[in-house]
Amino acid sequence: MTLGARGIEKRFSSQVVLRGASIELHPGEILLLRGPNGSGKTTFARILATTLAADAGTVTLDGEPVRRRLGAARRAIGFVSHRPLLYLGLTPLENLEFFGRLAGVTDARLRAERLLERFGLTPFARTAMERFSRGMLQRVALIRALLPAPKVLILDEPYAGLDDEGSSTLNALLEEARGGGTASLVISHDRDRIAPLTPREYLLKHGVIEPSP
Amino acid sequence: MTALRVLAKDLRLHARDARFIATLSLFSLSLVLILSVAFGPFFRDPAREASATLWAALFFAGVLGLTRALDLESESGGGEALRLTGADPFAIYAGKTIANFLLMAVLFVLLLPCTSIFFDVGNLAVLPTVAGVAALALIGYAAWGTLFAALARGLKARELLLSILLFPTLIPLWIGAVKLTRSLWADGTIEPVRDWVKIMVVIDVLGLALAAWLYEVIQEAEE
Repeated sequence: MTLGARGIEKRFSSQVVLRGASIELHPGEILLLRGPNGSGKTTFARILATTLAADAGTVTLDGEPVRRRLGAARRAIGFVSHRPLLYLGLTPLENLEFFGRLAGVTDARLRAERLLERFGLTPFARTAMERFSRGMLQRVALIRALLPAPKVLILDEPYAGLDDEGSSTLNALLEEARGGGTASLVISHDRDRIAPLTPREYLLKHGVIEPSP
Repeated sequence: MTALRVLAKDLRLHARDARFIATLSLFSLSLVLILSVAFGPFFRDPAREASATLWAALFFAGVLGLTRALDLESESGGGEALRLTGADPFAIYAGKTIANFLLMAVLFVLLLPCTSIFFDVGNLAVLPTVAGVAALALIGYAAWGTLFAALARGLKARELLLSILLFPTLIPLWIGAVKLTRSLWADGTIEPVRDWVKIMVVIDVLGLALAAWLYEVIQEAEE
């Protein structure tokens, strides 16, 4: 699936964050989006992931505006945000099975167990997450996004809190997803960690997106 | 199935939140005990005093319950992730409404015998009708409360907004519940105040209909 964003504009009160940001993400492609703090990367990610509406501009999936078929678009997009987007009172397995089944994954439990194993979380699969470290929560959040095998991945600072092993696992999973035709947009300051995936690089500055020098 | 999954998840979260359940139970039981002491030991109209006490306790406990449910959805973005699954918004609403209803129903089951004992009112013959009145009141509470909680989610002053919206909507429902319960405990029938049943049904249906119409819009307006 091709994810397109054209002329995205967004302002919060009097502060203009995005001034016509555009991007196109093709199947099997990994794109790194960088930018200074406060440049609007997270706002742009949230608009692509449909959790925030743009003031102007259109986000499309295979040419069709996502707002026209919101449910289907959300099932096609996996999103990792700054927040874990999980219920901390549940265990990782309960969270993943719950969200997986709601997203229409029939073998959600099996897939969750496999992904938990790859991220080294099997011993904690049945532990409530209230006392999980930032890194452990990030791993579960990544699994939640990857579980339904989405056609598009939008990952906002996915390496935050991850150790080297976690980063390697994430890169391996992104490589596998790329092989399966998934398009991935990674927002990160950590160029070194994503470098092995040789992504196309873009820069978000002053509200617009341009190829990174 | 979506509604059942959301219901199971919400009940599981509530069941694990032992401190909150204990606080809610102790708060409402204390209220019943304090008011029974304040009105007693020689009650002038025990049916009136008991029904007012029971429904006042449930009203305040209900607001606490909804606020807590709101926090559980907001604290780590679980509610946002729920939206991102692409599941049917009304099914999500239905699951959450049933969970809120059941939480209050458990509290009602806990408070009813205590109120009956402390105020020496009620009998087994009217119990099914009292339960029916409670069902009417609690369906309305859950229907409107879940809708308003979704509206308040994501706002800084969410507890305040929830109370402002909830109080005027629930007050007619609660007045009906007090009048019907009093009539049942005093006279063993609802005949003198039967019209309140119709009012309560209308409020319940209105809440559910409004949610069916507006919940998706409200859910998306969280942004």
